[in-house]
Amino acid sequence: MAILQTVGLGKDYGDVVAVEALDLTVEAGQLTALLGPNGAGKTTAISMICGIVPATRGNVCVAGHDIATEPFAARRALGLVPQDLALYDELTARQNLTFFGRLYGLSGTLARQRIAWALEVAGLTGRADSAVSRFSGGMKRRLNLVAALLHKPRLLILDEPTVGVDPQSRNHIFETIRALNRDHGMTVIYTSHYMEEVQSLCDRVAIMDHGRIVALDSVDHLIATHAAPMVEIGFEGDANTVEQALAAVGIAGPGVTVADGTAQFPHGHRLGAAFSALEREGTRLRSVHTQAADLESVFLALTGHRLRDD
Amino acid sequence: MLGAAIIKDTQLLLRDRARLATLFLLPVIFVAVFGSIFTSRGEEMRQLPVYHEPGDRRAAALVAALEASGAFHTTRYERAEKVRQLVAEGDVLAGLIIPPEFDPRAGKPAELAIDEGAPMQVRGPVEGAISGVLTAAYVAGPRAEEFSVLDPRTPPGLDRPLAGAGGFQHAVPGNAMLFGFFLALTVALSFGEERTSGTWRRLLAAPVSRPVVLLAKLVPWALVGLVQMAFLFGTGALAFGMQVAGSVASLCALTAAVVVCATALGLFIASMGGSEKQVGAVGSICLLVMAAVGGAMIPRQLMPETMQTISLATPHAWALEGYFDLLNRPGTTLAQVAGSIAALSGFAVVFATVGAWRFRFDR
Repeated sequence: MAILQTVGLGKDYGDVVAVEALDLTVEAGQLTALLGPNGAGKTTAISMICGIVPATRGNVCVAGHDIATEPFAARRALGLVPQDLALYDELTARQNLTFFGRLYGLSGTLARQRIAWALEVAGLTGRADSAVSRFSGGMKRRLNLVAALLHKPRLLILDEPTVGVDPQSRNHIFETIRALNRDHGMTVIYTSHYMEEVQSLCDRVAIMDHGRIVALDSVDHLIATHAAPMVEIGFEGDANTVEQALAAVGIAGPGVTVADGTAQFPHGHRLGAAFSALEREGTRLRSVHTQAADLESVFLALTGHRLRDD
Repeated sequence: MLGAAIIKDTQLLLRDRARLATLFLLPVIFVAVFGSIFTSRGEEMRQLPVYHEPGDRRAAALVAALEASGAFHTTRYERAEKVRQLVAEGDVLAGLIIPPEFDPRAGKPAELAIDEGAPMQVRGPVEGAISGVLTAAYVAGPRAEEFSVLDPRTPPGLDRPLAGAGGFQHAVPGNAMLFGFFLALTVALSFGEERTSGTWRRLLAAPVSRPVVLLAKLVPWALVGLVQMAFLFGTGALAFGMQVAGSVASLCALTAAVVVCATALGLFIASMGGSEKQVGAVGSICLLVMAAVGGAMIPRQLMPETMQTISLATPHAWALEGYFDLLNRPGTTLAQVAGSIAALSGFAVVFATVGAWRFRFDR
């Protein structure tokens, strides 16, 4: 059963097309990633799915409810973990959760039970009555996550939930997401521009670039279909000379990078010809490595540019 | 380094319209408002209608002394009632009626027709100047004994003010309006804070309608505003002896209208958009100008007629009208301040309607 279905979903801001036409179906229990660089349109897509911004075109169905015509039913079925730390710093963790629970109609015993459960999931039971302003960044991130769980949504949407957190808290967040998916059958959409996170967490990836999905499949299938292992050569000498030498034997194009004593290109190219060309130019090789294909290679192959510039 | 810093800060300032307005426009607005108040009203305040019996040479000498002082332009009327009427209708601040039996030493002073409920800033200079000139002319030498040359009386047509009322009757509502309407700025800024913290997205993603989200932001602040007003008027009454001359229920109704209006104004300011810094600067300027024009800083009675009319375009002026009557005129009822309440409600409806219409949830 599809928990989320978007058809031709798009958003324009004046002449700028933020999201072109998003067609995305997420089945119950799936853990799907929206992977793309900053500015790809992930947050805008999430905003339309949650009904925060109206779509310019297309429609969204959450758990069978159209977000435009049945907004309350659709929103009750989803929980959003915003990219920002959407918490009231001056309030305690418990006060924050009480307020956010009220937004979903939780009160009395049920609210107290859910809050206790959420605090336990976040590992913050002992700090329930401390002001959020006194929490570390990781603690805030964990509280930010569980604030979206109080009403036990069928679809959990996490918008870059690990920005600026320490490795320990990141692992805690990952374990929480896996447990929610595994033990509670919660369907998860996870947006990120961190390829490693998506690869380790999600079983299905939608790659977004310039406001559209360029590929949607399992991680393994995406890599098998779109990417090849990479060869990395370490050299001593002028990078321009190396770039020209490689181009002379046909090693050029979007997947090839030469800079600072290192050249990278897809494994499919003729290695022998490359080595001969470099030797003719008098370039001394320091090292040769092969790298397994990953989502970075997939993104590069599909878009012609890297996922992150840093 | 210093030169680069100056250039950089100048470039930043030139791009910051709100700060430019605060630094350059706001002082000019204040100079214009206060300058026009004292210049124009000063001339109006010099007009003094007088009455005395025809042929009363001593009274004529006193009037001549007033004219000679240069402080007043006197006009003699044939009937004392006409002088009182001019004051009651607000054409002049005061009028002087010198009876034939005028003899201050014998306890028979001249009648000064004036609104005794007017703030001391309005009454004081007029009373003081007339009293000084008349005393000097009457005694014609150093004053050696205590007596009053003037008997201030509120003319028919104006309700007599509360006996024993002090300056706090005006200071409390004036400052309550000045700071009470700053609730609008707090409300406007709270929207920005909610957006900045990210909680706004959480609110919008919840199963709650947009109007309810707005109300959820506005109602708590309106309650805070009511508490603030209760505190200010309560402190005025308990600590400073402020009295309520009219009905307390009417005071509550008027205060509720003020708070609703200020809260709606907050939504209106928030709907104008911009960063928190811009909202803060623009909102402060608007509220200070409205308070100055509306009479929260200087009584409206001191303003020239044109400025008094312009001031009615601010909710502050209507609120202060109502508070003036409720605190100074005994027996003032709800019906007598209904105009103020209706005007404030009208402002609130306009602010709320335009604010809600212009408000961008997804900015």
